[in-house]
Amino acid sequence: MQARSFAELGLVIVAVCAPIACGGDSSAAQTPTSKKTVQPSAAATTRYVDGGDSMRFVAHDENLPVGFPASGRPLTLTNPYEGDKRALGVGAQLYVTYNCIDCHGADGSGAMGPSFADGRWHFGGAPGEVFESIYQGRPDGMPQWGGRITNDQIWMLTTYVRSLATKDLSTDNFTGKTIERTGH
Amino acid sequence: MKRAIWADVLFLAIAIVSACTREGERKTPGADTTTAQLPATTVSGTRIAVAHAGPPGEWQMPAGDYASSRYSTLSTITPANAPNLHVSWAFSTGVLRGHEGQPLVIGNTMYVITPYPNVAYAIDLTQQGQPLKWKFRPENAQQAAGRACCDVVNRGAAYADGKIFYNLLDGHTIAVDAATGRQIWRATMGNLARGETMTMAPIVVKNKVIVGSSGGEMGIRGWIAALDVATGHEVWRAYNIGPDRDVKVGPKFKPFYAHDRGKDLGSTTWPGDTWKTGGGAVWGWLSYDPELNLIYHGTSNPGPWNQDQRLGDNKWTASILARDADTGEMVWALQTTPHDLWDYDAVNENILVDLPIKGVTRKALVHFDRNGFAYTIDRATGEVILAEPFVPMNWSTGIDMQTGRPKMVAEKMTSQGKKVMDICPSLEGGKNQQPAAFSPQTGLFYVPTNNLCMDFESHAVTYIAGTPFIGALAPEKGGPGGYRGEFMAWDATTGKKVWGIKEPFPVWGGALVTAGGVVFYGTLDGWFKAADARTGKVLWQFKVGSGVVGNPVTYTGPDGKQYVAIYAGIGGDMGLLIAGDVAANLPYDVRERGTTLPDLARWTSWGGMLFVFSL
Repeated sequence: MQARSFAELGLVIVAVCAPIACGGDSSAAQTPTSKKTVQPSAAATTRYVDGGDSMRFVAHDENLPVGFPASGRPLTLTNPYEGDKRALGVGAQLYVTYNCIDCHGADGSGAMGPSFADGRWHFGGAPGEVFESIYQGRPDGMPQWGGRITNDQIWMLTTYVRSLATKDLSTDNFTGKTIERTGH
Repeated sequence: MKRAIWADVLFLAIAIVSACTREGERKTPGADTTTAQLPATTVSGTRIAVAHAGPPGEWQMPAGDYASSRYSTLSTITPANAPNLHVSWAFSTGVLRGHEGQPLVIGNTMYVITPYPNVAYAIDLTQQGQPLKWKFRPENAQQAAGRACCDVVNRGAAYADGKIFYNLLDGHTIAVDAATGRQIWRATMGNLARGETMTMAPIVVKNKVIVGSSGGEMGIRGWIAALDVATGHEVWRAYNIGPDRDVKVGPKFKPFYAHDRGKDLGSTTWPGDTWKTGGGAVWGWLSYDPELNLIYHGTSNPGPWNQDQRLGDNKWTASILARDADTGEMVWALQTTPHDLWDYDAVNENILVDLPIKGVTRKALVHFDRNGFAYTIDRATGEVILAEPFVPMNWSTGIDMQTGRPKMVAEKMTSQGKKVMDICPSLEGGKNQQPAAFSPQTGLFYVPTNNLCMDFESHAVTYIAGTPFIGALAPEKGGPGGYRGEFMAWDATTGKKVWGIKEPFPVWGGALVTAGGVVFYGTLDGWFKAADARTGKVLWQFKVGSGVVGNPVTYTGPDGKQYVAIYAGIGGDMGLLIAGDVAANLPYDVRERGTTLPDLARWTSWGGMLFVFSL
């Protein structure tokens, strides 16, 4: 069962993406147009550092102590699908197809894994940082998807996941709207 | 017929609630004590099937005994003096996640297992201030935290032969020297990469440690296994799904109902090879009857929740199974929810008690299922003696006593593409992991319950190893009657509730009952309570700060006094998934209040404390 799953998923994704790739009606992709546009805290492009020997890292300037010289040559990496509504719709479907939804909750409300709706990011919310989290996985159980699905799909997931960060939940005064969650 | 009863119960509940409100006699904020005018149950002919493990003043097994009774013969604390209970001492476990389970007390040492990372503490009860004798921090893969469906809980340890046995979230079973805290052996039991985590409390039966895994939401193939106490070597492992050889169905298998007989039902009741990812985990409580030499355990929901992907009975998921303790061979099986459509695991505890029923003493097994039925079963044969709803339910009209199967209500049956509204109970069940207790003095079971309903909508899902295999969204809401939980006394000889304490939240902590006639339980909003076992009158309560999802135990201290211990630390499925907004320790994971329990975060935050009370 597990051996065949990725080959089959590839077929599923081809089927899912086909209408879009062929220039089909983008409304079929269930683009969540009702959502507010994201106001990400980080820039849409992520600065990378070329560490030499063909190794490339996301630059985390916030971890540099004062006075330390930044090492390596700066590079930039841009999400090719940033602001692309069709990619956003595909990303929303991939979020279900790859079972992201059952860990991070419908609309990123949080479940087994952390929420996205709060606009707060354990490992950074810039596109390259989110790409990195999906690509290589994270220590608390986030699987590594790099090499298992295409980089294009990871970028579309990045586009969708970042679009969920729409809420300021800093203050809770126990009134107002609630969200639906599924227990297990 | 059942619906009429439900209507009557509802009417009665509403009447009582309004009466109490009029009198203004609320002893508990937001909770009502209701006492029905029913005579005390006769207790002659009742017997807990297996005696308390060790001296009466110790707590050597997760449930106190093999029968899972959670009954103690200690009697110093009584309804008369319980109002004088106070905190004697407390201990912080250092971990802020769901503290299900309970400590053990062996000699003058208390053993505490924390949620992930599953630290073990040995606490010296002989000295003032209760210093540690040792602290053991196991290697425990961090990935496990994100592979566990329902918080990173641990339901406790077992003890035998000078060793503490417990499971690590990352799929290991370990033995630790009770005297020194050194790890003696470590056995790899679950495959974390496939979503197998371990949270359940083992029991030790005849030099074997019996364990199972979690992962019913991850498409695992459930199993139960026995390990050698001395070495950790696996003696037997039985799967709950698959061909007879794997499931250990052979000549000893004699299920009571004809439809449960046949070859390879564990695989032929599934389409194709879907059984290989069909769930059926053993994450709940274990019981053992030495006279019959049978181990009793439940199995979890089938996977995925989307029923269209697994047409058939899906044996032996959502089942109560009896297995030979020496070999793991299945002796009988009762599938409480065939082809489960609602995530109704059958892993809740099986309490082994002899009961007088219709003038005959029956070797009974009493089980309060997620599906909302309280079963009184013949534990030798698997025959359903009686089964009655113990919470509001509407998916079934009752159990067909010819087959043991539930009679279905068509409009509450789920299928892909159909949104089914207002199913009761919700997927959390009429009761979940929170174990009930039984007192031979009153003949009553003390049952912490949920009163929630849900909507259910399933969608196609693909199996990807190590990720959830669910395929459904099922938002939950409070059930009928204006309360979301009830702590009740249940007569399993008649299938009737005797009294109930309505609670504003699901009662997610377990029960303890004593020969002093006092029953203890904790609530999600952080109260620890003592009630009169005969009347249900709340005698005392103390706010422990964080919601209680663990189980009280009682023991005699070195000073001869009776103590009662309980964890405070909200979590588990109800604390994390349903009420993730109660957390405050993760700056990057701030959650919006959930619709199911939108008011819970006013009353509690995450915690990790052990409280010990005495007179």
